Amino acid sequence: MSRFFLLGLLVLAMGPLLTEVAQAGEGEKLYRFYCAQCHGTEGKGDGPNVTGDFPVDPRDFTQTAEMNKLSDSDIRNVIIDGGPIADKSPMMPPWGKTLNDDEIEALVQYLRQLCDCTGKSG
Amino acid sequence: MKTAATTFLGLYLLVIVTGTAWADAEAGKELFETNDCHLCHQTQGPATEKTIDDQLAKQGPELWYAGSKFQRPWLEAWLQDPQPIRPMKFNSVMEPNPGGHLALSAGQAGPVTDYLMNLTSGVVEAGAVKVKKKNLKGRLIFIKKMPCSGCHQFPTKKKFSGGMSGPSLVGAGGRLNPDWVLAYLRQPKVFKPVKMMPVFVGVLSDKDMKNVAAHVATFK
Repeated sequence: MSRFFLLGLLVLAMGPLLTEVAQAGEGEKLYRFYCAQCHGTEGKGDGPNVTGDFPVDPRDFTQTAEMNKLSDSDIRNVIIDGGPIADKSPMMPPWGKTLNDDEIEALVQYLRQLCDCTGKSG
Repeated sequence: MKTAATTFLGLYLLVIVTGTAWADAEAGKELFETNDCHLCHQTQGPATEKTIDDQLAKQGPELWYAGSKFQRPWLEAWLQDPQPIRPMKFNSVMEPNPGGHLALSAGQAGPVTDYLMNLTSGVVEAGAVKVKKKNLKGRLIFIKKMPCSGCHQFPTKKKFSGGMSGPSLVGAGGRLNPDWVLAYLRQPKVFKPVKMMPVFVGVLSDKDMKNVAAHVATFK
């Protein structure tokens, strides 16, 4: 009985962690499908669209210091409304009509995994 | 009496022409299948993809609305000399398009075109896009205000410019039906429920979508 109780407690305690892991897995799939075309499969800002004609450098998500300057909310807003919401290039499209809230959250979590950073709070 | 004879002749010709076109389309369908085209191209609508995995499982572009999307002369010519339209392999952002699409003989391309041009979508509004020599508003949206050029190659004075992940729009004026381009912007999920291109519904106004479609129609 007490063994089952402890197991239950363990599952409850790990719940948020498991959700985060699942989200990051889903985030990677979403990232590779939607974002890698410009930001590259490894997040270095070197996707196939970045030819000599591309007018800006897509963000390199592996730059920890730069990514740490952004809060999750900053990232979320740019995903939803596109580059211009943060005074960046319209080459970053608004994905708010394409992705739902859970998918956007999964992407934010995956970008945090790529930068190995938590970003500023807010 | 003369009127009756004319009407009879007219009806007779209509039956002959319609019957011939139907027979060609049927022959085209058979050729489509014997050439194994159906193994990569879906010809039954509506679209049923719900997830990224569903989209990635597809081997080639769906053709169930080919008659709404393409212009007939372009399609018939392309089937005989199929040069890559996508710089990257279908569904990939890593591998360049290797080309090598099956080419049909002139005798096969005609009936297959007949068959494909019979596959249409009801949401395409005929004549909705007014095509002129230039559409500056559409150009501004395509190049500056929206990221279209980031993913799609388009013609320029030097040759062409633009990104690689989407289908090239070089020559789109002769390839795509502008009314289909508008329908694709207006109701993308009818055609591709899951796709790498963002949804612009609620981002671009209907007028802006018409301008973009009219601008794309100028691409040589």
